[in-house]
Amino acid sequence: MSIDTQTSDADLIARSLADPDLFTAVFDRHSGEILRYVYARLGPDLAEDVTAETFLAAFGCRSKYDGAWPDARPWLYGIAMRQISRHRRVEERRLRLLRSAPVDGPAEDHSDRAVARVTAQRLGPRLAAAVAALPRQDRELLLLIAWVELSYAEAATALSTTTSAVKARLHRIRVRMRQELGDDYPFNEEKDDE
Amino acid sequence: MSDINTLRELRPAPPPAELEAMRMAVRERFVAGTARKPLRPRWRPVRRPVLAGGLITAAAAAGAATALVLTSGPGAVPGHSRTVVTTAWTVREDADGTVSIYLQQYANPSGLQQTLQADGVNAIVRAIPYTVAASANKTIVTPTCNYVTINDREPLAVQGAVLTVGRQALPALFIIHPDAIPAGSALFLAFMASPPNATGNIAIKPVVLSNDTAPACVPVATKPGPGASAPPIGHKASGPVPSALPKAA
Repeated sequence: MSIDTQTSDADLIARSLADPDLFTAVFDRHSGEILRYVYARLGPDLAEDVTAETFLAAFGCRSKYDGAWPDARPWLYGIAMRQISRHRRVEERRLRLLRSAPVDGPAEDHSDRAVARVTAQRLGPRLAAAVAALPRQDRELLLLIAWVELSYAEAATALSTTTSAVKARLHRIRVRMRQELGDDYPFNEEKDDE
Repeated sequence: MSDINTLRELRPAPPPAELEAMRMAVRERFVAGTARKPLRPRWRPVRRPVLAGGLITAAAAAGAATALVLTSGPGAVPGHSRTVVTTAWTVREDADGTVSIYLQQYANPSGLQQTLQADGVNAIVRAIPYTVAASANKTIVTPTCNYVTINDREPLAVQGAVLTVGRQALPALFIIHPDAIPAGSALFLAFMASPPNATGNIAIKPVVLSNDTAPACVPVATKPGPGASAPPIGHKASGPVPSALPKAA
């Protein structure tokens, strides 16, 4: 079996209906990314289990995949989120840990990344608390954008909603976080990134 | 600068080496899980078997009070030739020879070994010795040695043919296909028979050895915390204990 790197996920998934082994290529492309996300959400104890369950669930429902999306990441993240939601208590514990966890030391340059890291060091606990206080669906969206770096359109696919709904919800989330952080909110009013 | 970038810095990430090891473990499970359908067994583990009226025979070995062997009648499951239920685990042999292990607690490894062998699985089950440290409200267990099997494993294809992992963490579910175990090989399983809810417990995964000899338990350097105590190696049996273990190390 040879898989051209140009072959889209949609094509692989469609062909895997006749040849299930081809789905392994989808696994190999995206499992590292999904595993990192699950690890970040639930920690090391459940990361393997939930990632395996995600891909097995994806394999089981691959006949329903919307072939209009060449990249399967949003679909896989959607499934991963549903699996993660079964472990709500673990995630809550994880978020509590985040509030007290130190962020890596400051970078020595003055790039945006370094500035963000310094800000995270200062604001980390309060920011994590604000994230933890969000309703579950808002938190899912925010983390898909911030941690996974999905586009609004991709996040909309993962959450089975529309791009405009994602933008509106993200705006509300930012307003709410601004209220949570009060005077400490260090960010300028800015337009959404897309 | 954006609040999103700042939030991104809070994302926890595993060490790269650990990530790759985890990914490979997940891949094994994925390949095993998709190779044989259906993944999930047709039965649900029996937790409270119906005792009255059925032909229920207690396990012959010592400790039988907490182990039940269901062969037929209301307490047994139709289509299955044998089910052994203990408080720690349930082992069911299906009519097609498939053997499923439903593990609720890490306990009674010798009884588990005996039961698996009786079901035709050439199994070696070992307890991992450990130390216990009490810290605040937690009980922390730390292995004093690890069974290293990396050099004595059958290839991945064999592992996948023999073993389907339904779930690795407790309550764990493993489905074994004894016919796929090569001659001279054995299924190896090790866990810390530690107190329930202890922190630091190892999430086990059975492996198919390329031989039928239990691997050595390689000592690890440990730093016992305050109040640490070293219990006797092994476990407190809560089920059948074999009178003779053919695969004993």
